[in-house]
Amino acid sequence: MRRPSYERVYAACLRLLPDTFRERFGGEMIDFVARRLHEARRRGVLPALVERARLAVDLVTTISREWGAEWTQTDTDMPPRDNMDIFLQDLRFGVRGLLRRPGFSIVAAVTIALGIGANTAIFSVVNAVLIRPLPYHDPDRLVLIWGTQGKTNQQGVVYADYQDWRSRTHSFSELGAFRGQSVTMTGGESPERLIGDFVSASFLRVIDLKLSQGRAFTDAETEVATKGPVAVVSYEAWQNRFGGDRAMLGKPITLNGTTFTVIGITAPHTEVPLGLPDVMVPIGYYPNAHGLDRGVRGIAVAARLKPGVSYSAAQRELSTVMSQLEQEYPATNASTGAEIISLREYLVGGVRESLLIILAAVSVVLLIACANVANLQLARGAARARELSVRAALGAGRRRLAQQLLTESVLLSLVGGALGIALALVLRKTLATLIAPQLPVNEPDIRLDVPVLIFALGISMVTGLLFGLAPAWKASRTDITEMLRSRIGGGLRHGITRSTLVVVQLALSLVLLATAGLLTRSLQALQRVNPGFDGDNLLTAQFRLPVTKYNTPEKIWEMFERTTTELRSIPGVEAAALVRASPLSQNGESYPVVLEGQQPVKVGDAPMIQINSVTPGYFATMRIPVLAGRDIAATDRADAPHVIVVNKSFAERTWPGQSALGKRIQFGSEGFWTIVGVAGDTKHYTLNENQLLQGYVAHAQRPQVFTSLVVRTKGNPTDFARAVREAVWRVDRDQPIWRFKSMEQDLSGVVQSKKTMMWLTGLFALVALLVAVVGVYGVLSYTVAQRTQEVGIRIALGADAGRVRRMVIGDGLRLVGVAVVVGLALSLGAGRLLRHQLFGIPATDTLTFVAVTAVLGAVALIACYVPARRASRVDPLVALRMD
Amino acid sequence: MTQRDASTQLPLTPAVLHILLALSGGERHGYAIAGEVDETTSGSIRMGPGTLYGSIQRMLGSGLIEEVSPKRAKDDDERRRYYRLTTFGRRVLELEVQRLDRVVRVARRKHVLGDAGAL
Repeated sequence: MRRPSYERVYAACLRLLPDTFRERFGGEMIDFVARRLHEARRRGVLPALVERARLAVDLVTTISREWGAEWTQTDTDMPPRDNMDIFLQDLRFGVRGLLRRPGFSIVAAVTIALGIGANTAIFSVVNAVLIRPLPYHDPDRLVLIWGTQGKTNQQGVVYADYQDWRSRTHSFSELGAFRGQSVTMTGGESPERLIGDFVSASFLRVIDLKLSQGRAFTDAETEVATKGPVAVVSYEAWQNRFGGDRAMLGKPITLNGTTFTVIGITAPHTEVPLGLPDVMVPIGYYPNAHGLDRGVRGIAVAARLKPGVSYSAAQRELSTVMSQLEQEYPATNASTGAEIISLREYLVGGVRESLLIILAAVSVVLLIACANVANLQLARGAARARELSVRAALGAGRRRLAQQLLTESVLLSLVGGALGIALALVLRKTLATLIAPQLPVNEPDIRLDVPVLIFALGISMVTGLLFGLAPAWKASRTDITEMLRSRIGGGLRHGITRSTLVVVQLALSLVLLATAGLLTRSLQALQRVNPGFDGDNLLTAQFRLPVTKYNTPEKIWEMFERTTTELRSIPGVEAAALVRASPLSQNGESYPVVLEGQQPVKVGDAPMIQINSVTPGYFATMRIPVLAGRDIAATDRADAPHVIVVNKSFAERTWPGQSALGKRIQFGSEGFWTIVGVAGDTKHYTLNENQLLQGYVAHAQRPQVFTSLVVRTKGNPTDFARAVREAVWRVDRDQPIWRFKSMEQDLSGVVQSKKTMMWLTGLFALVALLVAVVGVYGVLSYTVAQRTQEVGIRIALGADAGRVRRMVIGDGLRLVGVAVVVGLALSLGAGRLLRHQLFGIPATDTLTFVAVTAVLGAVALIACYVPARRASRVDPLVALRMD
Repeated sequence: MTQRDASTQLPLTPAVLHILLALSGGERHGYAIAGEVDETTSGSIRMGPGTLYGSIQRMLGSGLIEEVSPKRAKDDDERRRYYRLTTFGRRVLELEVQRLDRVVRVARRKHVLGDAGAL
């Protein structure tokens, strides 16, 4: 049986106790807590809560007390007084101590608040994306299944294969098919584009869809043979698109020209894998001709593992079924397979590493803040030496002093933590708005909930212990008589610790600077990538013709031809064309390519070519150079010989040293296409992709109902959206058009997540640098103050101001030098961890490392100069009189 | 064990005093000690596990109490250990109670609690 969560946390916290104590009493303490809570729970909720709080205080004080005993190794004979008593006394001392030195307290609390605030904010993102369970019933058993083709994975699934999986596998309690695709709703004032999902009834069972009204589909309603025209509308679409119509159930809606009856409305905030649609309809209505035939990929499959079945067992079974199918249908299933991926892995796999890097960067900031506050504490500890020595002389044990200092540190860090949480609350909205679009979460999901607050509290405690340890340890070690004798108190030893802490701060700052530097250089390299077309003043949009209305290739082609003519007639439009998938719109289709006269190879082994259908004038509109042969022409009509323009990479890789013109190739199940031209390479999905092999065919020879339009404009392209929409409406008044975007928006969109990461790490590096530099300044000022007499004597003996300055700056630069060596070594390690995030530069990029070292050095030099100048102005008379 | 001067242990902290008192009635395990202290002080001293075992550790170290070789009841948890007073511990307890008794007598004479004299 699982222990209740409090007891588990308690047991985990026991690890913070010294080993000897934990080994001797840990088990008994857990037993004790279990019994006490059991009793307290019987008395009611409130007594149980009070008891938990008491137990927590008891544990925290025990941890600090036992460590105190461990360090001092003394007076184990003296039993503790009641912990609560000691704790309250320390708390009083702590509050008083902090209030007595408001300057120190404020600086320290603000430093800690910055660190904890930033960490809490970033953790709220990490929690939302990586930790919080997905919003499904039993989400760990939800998987997606993709098709594989040779070495290419994450392909769509063939509907026929999916049906065989259903009948032949036993690893899944349910498998469901779905396919998201926009649908056109008519019957209202203007045609509307809705996001549709074509689903099987079993899909709704896989995701355990909850309805607020009505019913879900039956199996018969979604089967191709027995399909019924029924629809389920999302709660959000019901509210926003249908005005929350109370009589929605039973209402007819016309989608893609077919009339469906609404039979259900989902519960609010329903989640559906790959995005919540506005409306779900049976997969039997999937509009693409032959879209569900054997051999045609197109659908997605979600499934639920049976309890006790592992991913690998399910994968093995699926692979077995796929090899059976390969033998049964060699024509369509050669080299095909299937892969299982957990829904969570699919959603967050791509962003996990970036998020963890950002979290690591921000925790380094907190470490630097800790080192800084520890240094402040030490400086204060030196000044407090007398107070402490007097208290020690009056009988306070070293352990008690250490414990009290530690309590004070934790108190300070808790104040900092509270401020930090406030800061995180302020930052939440900005951060969530900035980062959520690049992550698989919605903006409101990024919030400061209980786990995040526990995290904030936890790091506050740990922070306090971290920066409190050094001073407390010092206090417990310092000899009272020495403390009383010395005027400043353990100066030299403090000096070494403080210098070490400064080196740590500077070195860690250098690591963050290097990280930010590498990411910045990498982003620059990415932005310098030539996409192969001119993205300025280019407007793009998309539309999908309803298949019921455009049911012949001629009708589709006529509509496209008239549309391009209308687009070109808009005043201010220089050029316009249609293309099935415009670059960076994330649409696109690829096929294995077969060369004429070549021995047939297995489908999975053939190179993949990305095929795009375009209208004449596409290359001119995009300013993609035609390097050889000709453009797609108006004469390439449906009845003319099929022609294709391939890109430079395809031509050179397939026929090195020869002309590609006149060669014939085949892709998919269609016939041969003759190469009539070679065009420049373009980037299609993103800027850092390996160059795709590309082919362009005439829209007229391969008409499909979905297309994008590209319009080259004079002036701001987004200003033309309205005119473009009206131009299309002059051809078909019922045709919705969507995704109006300038190509510049798409170009910056594909680097947006890299940009966010660069800005965040850059910001953290800046904060780190500031904090570290304040640290350098503090240490040098302190040593200068301590050495006032020595400096005074040197000046009295004739040392000039310049020499004194050089001496102090030399001290500072020695620290910086050590920090740079350590920091560069760490940065090389950090660079290796970053390597998947980098583009176009090596993880050891010299320029970055030289630049960040120079920045750190320059800033540190300024921090050294101020105390150095002060030292050089020491008046020897004043200095000598000091003693 | 070396013979120690019991008076150096005085005064006892409330926790130690009450643990000694609880054990004066025979051997107990940790949770039972805390329970008895809770009961005999009507809840005014409610020891947490850290305070209890911290005290026990130090009392073991100074020879006030010792661990008993286990002879548990059936339902007792493996982890539980029993403690009892040593002769030295009993001596310290006696001294402390005598000391407190003297304090109480002084307080009575001075009517610290007024005439109600609950003492």
